[in-house]
Amino acid sequence: MTAPRRLRKELCDLQDNTLKSFRDIKADDENLLRWTGLIVPDNPPYNKGAFRIEINFPAEYPFKPPKINFKTRIYHPNIDEKGQVCLPIISTENWKPATRTEQVVQALIALINDPEPEHPLRAELAEEFLKDRKKFVKNAEDYTKKHSEKRPAD
Amino acid sequence: MSFILELITSFVRKMLELLTFGGKTLTNTLKIYVKTNTGRTLTVNLEPQWDIKNVKELVAPQLGLQPDEVKIIFAGKELSDATTIMQCDLGQQSTLHAIRMRPPTIQREKLLSMSLEEEEPTGTPTEEASKPLNETLLDLQLENDERLNITDEYRVRAKAHFFVHCGQCDKLCNGKLRVRCSLCKGGAFTVHRDPECWDDVLKPRRIPGHCESLEIACVDNAAGDPPYAEFYFKCAEHVSGGEKDFAAPLNLIKNNIKDVPCLACTDVSETVLVFPCAAQHVTCIDCFRQYCRSRLGDRQFMPHPDFGYTLPCPAGCEHSFIEEIHHFKLLTREEYDRYQRFATEEATPPPPCGTLGSVVCSALPQS
Repeated sequence: MTAPRRLRKELCDLQDNTLKSFRDIKADDENLLRWTGLIVPDNPPYNKGAFRIEINFPAEYPFKPPKINFKTRIYHPNIDEKGQVCLPIISTENWKPATRTEQVVQALIALINDPEPEHPLRAELAEEFLKDRKKFVKNAEDYTKKHSEKRPAD
Repeated sequence: MSFILELITSFVRKMLELLTFGGKTLTNTLKIYVKTNTGRTLTVNLEPQWDIKNVKELVAPQLGLQPDEVKIIFAGKELSDATTIMQCDLGQQSTLHAIRMRPPTIQREKLLSMSLEEEEPTGTPTEEASKPLNETLLDLQLENDERLNITDEYRVRAKAHFFVHCGQCDKLCNGKLRVRCSLCKGGAFTVHRDPECWDDVLKPRRIPGHCESLEIACVDNAAGDPPYAEFYFKCAEHVSGGEKDFAAPLNLIKNNIKDVPCLACTDVSETVLVFPCAAQHVTCIDCFRQYCRSRLGDRQFMPHPDFGYTLPCPAGCEHSFIEEIHHFKLLTREEYDRYQRFATEEATPPPPCGTLGSVVCSALPQS
């Protein structure tokens, strides 16, 4: 089986060279196909909190892309209320089996830090982001304070 | 005391017996067929440590000839006297070809009538040319410049290695490259040069040679040009079932001589599949199966006008479709059956050698 072999390696690599913005990576021991981790963004309005995500790998990984879900609610044009995220690097059309999870996570962090209102999942937030940035930042900050997890101390 | 002594001597004798018995099983006598160009086939038993001179001495009297009047041809090469049977990579029940040397005068006349640029070595072949093909052939994945500057150390690793799907063993097997005349299909054929790339092996009319399978030498055309070699493959893992016991070459499967990691699991495997894309993406055999399984599950193989129902490189590279669909035989029988069913349902033209579902694998060289 390809998936467990590859995932074991990727998990080790990610846990060894810790990313500043992706912490607390865990995988179910018997089921390496489900990972959780904490996204710690740098840019306002999200830099006051941390966001738990879940990465689900299909059994046919890496010939099929993983799926990412936010477990923490976030006020973001590219992430919907259910926690679904639209990330081009893991879309079926763009997916390359050689793409590593670290690259996927980096792409996700970049998207969180700099929203892409051109292809939103929540049109109303995209509109607010484009037309009234002050209001958007205020709303997002309030939302982050209310819903997000505590950022790690270090 | 004498009792103990007796016990020891009997023990020693037993050990000696065991040793000699072990020795006997080690001398793997090969039962080999020797074909002549007069239509006769002799059966001989050869010891691996024998050389070709020994073979000539054994065969010549049975043909009413002197040993030095006989030449031995195997896998496209005339073998020198000093070549040993072991070096030839002969399996049980393989076939050697014993040909009566043409008297030297005729050869000289023939040479004179030939154009000058087509100088053919006469008399005893040079040492390099007379080594068996499996000793001289370099791995076909090497590029031209890589072939020129090759260190002795690397040469051992870079020796040509072939993989086949064997219908009889029903699995991925080591393969052996064999040569015959494209016209008469006879095996008493010597190549003018070694193949240097897969096209040399898989495509027709690439490497000319000299055919002595019949009493009258085959010629390619009215001008008397030499005929072309036809390469084919045999499974190296079961006893040869004769000259028609073909196996399908899996030309994308290679020894991983450059230690490239699998793009999917990132392990460095000994045997890999190299996709025909410009980037030469590599997967291990396990991951290749996994890839096929995943695409088969979603019915995402694609009908290619020339190759049949096939897959591209998993990275989606351009011009990367697998041409030789026998590679999909690496799937389990059940999965392959499904592959064939889908292929038929998608109404693709049957693959080139298409005997879908037949028992005998149709890996015949195309004539």
